[in-house]
Amino acid sequence: MKLLLDSSSSLLFSLLLAQLPVFTSASPVPQRRPTDMDKLSNQTKNLMKLTQELLKEHAFDSDVEPHRFRSLPEMSNRSANDLNNLELKPTLSQLHADLKLYEHHFEWLNRVSKKHHHPAVPKLVEMIREMKSLINLLHRHMLRVEAPRLTPATPSLPPHLPYQFDVLQSSHELLQHFKLFCDWAYRAFISLKPKVSAVQ
Amino acid sequence: MPGLLSSPVCLTVICFLSWSLHPSCAQIWTDEVSDVQYGRLGSNVTLACGNSQIRIPVVWRLNQSSVLPWHNMTSDGRLILLNVSQSAQGNYNCYDNRGLLLHSINLRLGHPPGLLSISCQVPNHTHVRCSWADFVKTFLPGQYNATFRGSGTEWRPCIVDVTGRHCDVDHPPFWQPIHTLRVTETNALGSRTTYVNIKLYDLLKPDPPESVLVKEREGYPTRLIVSWNFPSSWPLRDAFPLVFQIRYRPHGSIYWSEIYSEESHVEIFDALAGHLHQVQIRARDEVNADSQWSEWTPLLLVRPWEVHSTTNPVEEPDDLFTDYNFPFNTKPETSTPKSHNPIHDDEGNLGLVILLVLFSVVILTTVLSLIFVVWMRQRRRDHATKQELTSMVKMKSIPI
Repeated sequence: MKLLLDSSSSLLFSLLLAQLPVFTSASPVPQRRPTDMDKLSNQTKNLMKLTQELLKEHAFDSDVEPHRFRSLPEMSNRSANDLNNLELKPTLSQLHADLKLYEHHFEWLNRVSKKHHHPAVPKLVEMIREMKSLINLLHRHMLRVEAPRLTPATPSLPPHLPYQFDVLQSSHELLQHFKLFCDWAYRAFISLKPKVSAVQ
Repeated sequence: MPGLLSSPVCLTVICFLSWSLHPSCAQIWTDEVSDVQYGRLGSNVTLACGNSQIRIPVVWRLNQSSVLPWHNMTSDGRLILLNVSQSAQGNYNCYDNRGLLLHSINLRLGHPPGLLSISCQVPNHTHVRCSWADFVKTFLPGQYNATFRGSGTEWRPCIVDVTGRHCDVDHPPFWQPIHTLRVTETNALGSRTTYVNIKLYDLLKPDPPESVLVKEREGYPTRLIVSWNFPSSWPLRDAFPLVFQIRYRPHGSIYWSEIYSEESHVEIFDALAGHLHQVQIRARDEVNADSQWSEWTPLLLVRPWEVHSTTNPVEEPDDLFTDYNFPFNTKPETSTPKSHNPIHDDEGNLGLVILLVLFSVVILTTVLSLIFVVWMRQRRRDHATKQELTSMVKMKSIPI
């Protein structure tokens, strides 16, 4: 009995002591749960970071644009002012279609890079995985707000790249475009955040 | 003689002569005003004495002086200036041998336009300003025409200002990898177009934050409150967040401390009590890591709260710092980055109260538990003593 009592008291004391750091470290203000838009914007930023890393690691400084990719999402018609007046559903649908198109392009680049044993392959694989995850997340959110899914455009990809230099050039072009797309998409998601709360 | 003058033939001749001479004289004066001739520096320039094929000897003067630059004269009265320099510029007049002004030319010398050195500023996502300067000075007035386009888009005008030194594009297609600016300079000696590729995304550089205010916090000798406004040229919209870097140091120190914030105010908790502090802020686009930091705001000087503190923030010229004699002042500039630390005073205080309450509850529970345990032990001990006594009594009562 004595032993039991001793051990129980020690246990109780230990438990209380163990609770101390939990109590002290826990934020007293309840954490706001991240919304879908938070997740979408965070994931887009993550993708943008990966893209920037790839661009830095495989630097290819060129002011000349090769224009190999004719079917990338059109960015020339997107201005800073548009971000002010975005409509939730059409924007989500458009971003989804754009991301699907980029996914096709990057999968192609991954295949070509593998063939040429390009050192960027592991990071490209990671990028494609992140991209797919973002597309799925976006699709789930589209279902929630009943945004229609657009028919994805057919990508027109270069027939074949005979040299390592072509792969490098294509990779640079694609990553440059995608970085800018991510920048715009991120801004679109954070602009749409108040509109989502209005819909829900 | 009067008869001669009054004869109709003579009158007709006089009329004809006056009609034919007067306009030619007027023509010379008109030419003198309007005839500007341009020539290339370092080349040979030929000045003709009017349009007519003059066969009489002529005299040339430069700015009314008979001293002319290195030259040749042709038999038809043309002046050939050889390897002209700036000093050959001026008003050239040619006279006949009777001293009558035949023709007047204003000679201006320079170079045809060359390539331009172009740089662009992008203070936000909706405006681009490109400025240029001649690589080689032309010395002649030029006209500029500028156009701008994103990759694969149509050329659109870049509006050239009245000074002709820069042009502006509003609402450019920003999210494009490369943009091209085309500037054509035209002067009297020719025309030249300069193309330049620019990356707006990388050139994005906000203006510095505005209305920066640094205040002491009353009752706290190591705290300073810094507040500022977004640059007025930056769009105040959700889509365009800025990140701010705040740096501060005791006046005279070479070590900066840094704080990053996305808010427009911050509290410094580790100011050096009793010392003047220098504070500066700069801004950068929060999304675009390739963009550039703005320039720093002017140095602000402020002293944290003291018992008899009366200091107000003052703007300080940069050179004041070097005059100030502070003990540690000889090493190169370094900085100590700090994590993002925005002010959440109310939340912080509430949190502290809740934390203290929780902690008190835990302490109380612990103390109560200990008391309970001690009490239980004591009780058990008493019980054991009682049992021992009872058993002793029992043992005593047992007959041996």
